[in-house]
Amino acid sequence: MHALIIDDSRAMRAILRRIIAPVGWQTTEAAHGREALDHMEAGLVPDVCMIDWNMPVMDGYQFVCEVRKRPEWRDVTLMMVTTEGEHSQIVRALAAGAHEYVIKPFPPEAILDKLALLGFQSQEVSA
Amino acid sequence: MTALAPELAQQDLETLVAQVWSTYVLDEGPLPAPPAPWNDASPCWSSAVSVTGAWHGMIAVDLAESAAVALTRAMLAMDDDEEPASEDLVDAVGELANMIGGNVKALVPGPSGLSLPVVGHSPLAAPSELAPTLTLDLTWRGTPLRVRVLTAGSRGESPTAPPQEMLP
Repeated sequence: MHALIIDDSRAMRAILRRIIAPVGWQTTEAAHGREALDHMEAGLVPDVCMIDWNMPVMDGYQFVCEVRKRPEWRDVTLMMVTTEGEHSQIVRALAAGAHEYVIKPFPPEAILDKLALLGFQSQEVSA
Repeated sequence: MTALAPELAQQDLETLVAQVWSTYVLDEGPLPAPPAPWNDASPCWSSAVSVTGAWHGMIAVDLAESAAVALTRAMLAMDDDEEPASEDLVDAVGELANMIGGNVKALVPGPSGLSLPVVGHSPLAAPSELAPTLTLDLTWRGTPLRVRVLTAGSRGESPTAPPQEMLP
């Protein structure tokens, strides 16, 4: 399982990586939506993208819209992980093609539970 | 509670800060404290985000240098003897304001937009049209930590300029 973590905060990318790497996820990181698209256009097809909303260069909503324009990426699961908790924005992101929405701050279980709901089962990985 | 931010209570801010600490710092969170004077000679870090739209304001977090370093180590899982780089401090302190500000935005009337965080190594000055409406004074590891909510006088005004870094 491979996750593309897209957040302009290195600290937040590290937090997400520490949550999912121990349960079997490989991770790639990007600091904004454009950098994430660059990874994907170079051949990375992640199982899940974890996407912040507010980022420079290309924000998370624009990234979701761009990914959903491309049929070859239709199987990529998109999970917003953001401080944006306004109802209208949650609806907007889901309408654009995001599958799940997690609001920061979140406990680790919230991420793992959402991944399980999306059909990704955690695997214990030896240190 | 204030007249300018009636949707937002001090308890809301306290809860948000406690959630951030319990989730990312894995430490007893900051505790309420009497307002502490901010000594201009003492290094501190400040970060702020602006909310513009139906609600117009700024959310700022000020914390002492030692607290900023401890927060950064916790968020980046660094060892206690590891010295964070300046860009790591900017990143962690900025994300703190982003998380608190983003959740404040969800509690006030929308729709509105949230700016990217601005971080300074000294207290951030607010745009002149904003006035403090809610200040949460806390202490963490023996140092002061302050969360400020500043709002404009009425809703629907033109978007504010981003907060400006105050020169030492």
